[in-house]
Amino acid sequence: MKIKLSILTLLLCCSSLVFAQVKFTASVNKNTIGTGEVLEVTFSINANADRFAPPAFAGFQVVGGPNVSNSISMVNGVTSASIAYGYDLVPTREGEITIGPATIMSGGRPYSTTPIKIKVVKGQGGQSNQQAQQQSSNGPDSRNIQKGRVTDISKSLFLRTEVDKTTAYMGQQIMMNLRLYTRVNIANGEPEKIPDLNGFYSRDIKSNNPNTQWRTEIINGVRYNVTDVKQTILFPEHEGNITIEPSIMNFIVRQQAASSSGDPFDAFFGGYEDVKYKVKSTPIVIHVKPLPQAGKPVEYTGAVGKFNIEASLDKNDVKANDAINYTIKISGTGNLKLLKPISPNFPADFEKYEPKITDTITENASGSSGNRKYTYLLIPRHQGDFTIDPIKFAYFNPATGRYVSLTTQAFHIKVAKGTGDGSNVTAFSNAGKQDVKVLSNDIRYIKTGTELNDVGSDFYGSGLYYFLLILGPAGFLGALVYGKWRDKNNADVVGLKSRKAGKVAAKHLASAKQQLNDKKAFYENLFRGLYGYLSDKLNIPYSDLNREKIAEELKARSLDESLINEMLDTLDLCEMARYAPVSGITEQQVFDKAQNMINNIENKI
Amino acid sequence: MMKRIIYLLLIIVMPICALANDEANVLLKKGNDQYAKGQYKEAITTYQKIVDDGHQSALVYYNLGNAYFKNEDVPSALLYYEKAHKLSPGDEDINFNIQFANQKTTDKIEAGTEFFITKWWHSFILRFSLTTLSVLTILLIIAGSALLIVYRFTNSVSIKKWSFYSALVVLLLGFASMFVASRQDQYFDAHHGAIIFSTSVNVKSAPTLNAKNLFLIHDGTKVEILEDNNGWMKIRLASGNEGWINASDAKEI
Repeated sequence: MKIKLSILTLLLCCSSLVFAQVKFTASVNKNTIGTGEVLEVTFSINANADRFAPPAFAGFQVVGGPNVSNSISMVNGVTSASIAYGYDLVPTREGEITIGPATIMSGGRPYSTTPIKIKVVKGQGGQSNQQAQQQSSNGPDSRNIQKGRVTDISKSLFLRTEVDKTTAYMGQQIMMNLRLYTRVNIANGEPEKIPDLNGFYSRDIKSNNPNTQWRTEIINGVRYNVTDVKQTILFPEHEGNITIEPSIMNFIVRQQAASSSGDPFDAFFGGYEDVKYKVKSTPIVIHVKPLPQAGKPVEYTGAVGKFNIEASLDKNDVKANDAINYTIKISGTGNLKLLKPISPNFPADFEKYEPKITDTITENASGSSGNRKYTYLLIPRHQGDFTIDPIKFAYFNPATGRYVSLTTQAFHIKVAKGTGDGSNVTAFSNAGKQDVKVLSNDIRYIKTGTELNDVGSDFYGSGLYYFLLILGPAGFLGALVYGKWRDKNNADVVGLKSRKAGKVAAKHLASAKQQLNDKKAFYENLFRGLYGYLSDKLNIPYSDLNREKIAEELKARSLDESLINEMLDTLDLCEMARYAPVSGITEQQVFDKAQNMINNIENKI
Repeated sequence: MMKRIIYLLLIIVMPICALANDEANVLLKKGNDQYAKGQYKEAITTYQKIVDDGHQSALVYYNLGNAYFKNEDVPSALLYYEKAHKLSPGDEDINFNIQFANQKTTDKIEAGTEFFITKWWHSFILRFSLTTLSVLTILLIIAGSALLIVYRFTNSVSIKKWSFYSALVVLLLGFASMFVASRQDQYFDAHHGAIIFSTSVNVKSAPTLNAKNLFLIHDGTKVEILEDNNGWMKIRLASGNEGWINASDAKEI
């Protein structure tokens, strides 16, 4: 191989160097650069040359190169060749840095370039600075790569975790992109560690194209081949700082064989070697803000993004026991998959089933979008007019930082009487009524009485009721009082007799009066009347009655002496008249006298 | 004395067994005939007229309930059955038909199981109608009092003995009857029922429209009214659930 190269060099030298003046120059794209900016240095020689030795680049970090370009051109039969070595440098400090001379051998003579002074000022681009640092931190694990080539690979192959935002609201979607930047040939690559993304709900974006899509990107003036290794949509699940762990990938890098001589033609003729190389991305911290409390609607359940909601009903005029489909469709961009089930307010009389959830969600580089449909199967069990209330749905729009409330329309359902016997299934009882023991097939017949007995149910407790209720006891009490009074009277037998005496006497007197013409009967009656009267009045047994006794008793009752004598005289007269004729006094006079006496006694006793 | 008692009895019995007027009896006969012919709608009209005229009779309520039942108006049927039941709680036919019609209602409500003595006691106090019990009470008390009066005034020792003990027994029976009547009265007071007439009623947790819906009941269900409040009724189901419904959704028994 080396022989081949030598021959080629020799040929080139022979053909051109004889006539050409050899120039070996160093040039930079600018003399003053900021820190973090990339300086391109090119060493070029207009002749065939070898044994190029770059300067030390003290004060710089080599981020690219050497890019070797050979060109051979023939103009008017004159063949000219040139070789250029390009480096991309990033200053490591401010101030004046000198790029030292590079040396090369051409035509057996050494050539060297003149040193170039570069002024490094403080860079304006913080980002490029950051990127430079990031790149440097993407440094390889030195254990796994071959010595001598470390710097070259670490600058040419690195992984970066890129997020579209490092500050997000809870539930706001974040696009995470694991990108591979390379300037070397990769023979093989496989992930060793993929972060488990704790604290996020993540959805990997599946690429439709199985082949790796490469594109080029220029970072700090250096062209890289870039590919997305993995794209993920992240939804932070809690507030605070959440760290995305680094990803690690193992590569086998195919690179030019290192030639001890540094001869670029070694590579040119296919000398290469495979190097195992481990790449690790830097961790990234996402600051998750809580959702604002201000203006949070009651119905808010955690949707973040931008949504729209609509509800639909397949029919609103049904018979009882016919099924209805009620669909809620939420479409938009955001954490659709994380939406909590919506619980619409269905009429309680509707039998409802768990909704069928259909997701039509696409996850691509622009995020998660699509729609989610909740389809509810409802079965109205009874006739009537029912209303499905509007559904309120709220989401947080992180772009505006505000909550948005949406409301669907309400639906009116008219349920006609259904056919069949399904009406015995209700929302209230979870079992049908079939298990009730059927006692008979019909109700009992009417009562065929034709006489209406009106029963006043309000009789109980009425005034009449209480009146009648106390009637019995009152009657009994009355009877008691009456009985007591009667007993008291009956107990006074003497008084009774004496009270009755007048009456008895009157009776006798009355019968005596009737016999005024019959002297004997008249006196008989009068005598008996007076005697009986006195017997009753004075409480003397009839047999004990005599003149002395009468006089004594009457005297005891303090009657007038004259009245007593008159009484005794009258009695004597009556006794006498029974046996002998009476003169000097008529029967009428005797009668009046007796009556007078009785009246007098009655008045006095 | 005997004459007086007879008069009293007449006074008592007169308003109770008030001679229903002939017109109502004619209507009743007509309604029965219509029912027998299967003209249930016409029978409803006829019976309803008797009721509207102010006649309260278990018989006509029961027949009206039957006519409504045959006309497939279960809630109305139950309403009148329950009215009949209230007037004549011990009537087997009425109770049977209530049970039967309840099978046609939507809600199956498991009543809390009653202690057997409670159950027996309820069936005992509901054996006779309140009016029957009232009349019985009055008659027994009066008879007892009369016997006591006899005891008081008789001269015969044997009659005195006999009348005293029988008076005691009769009066005790009278007080028992009065007690049972008061129990029955209280029972219907405490079980102040209503029948749901709306096809489906949301029972709410408070007497306002936007209160939470506790449960759902349907037409024909018997509820107990606990409270009335501004057109709302607090109700209790046999199962013990309580809540508020619109007063217009139910008809009181």
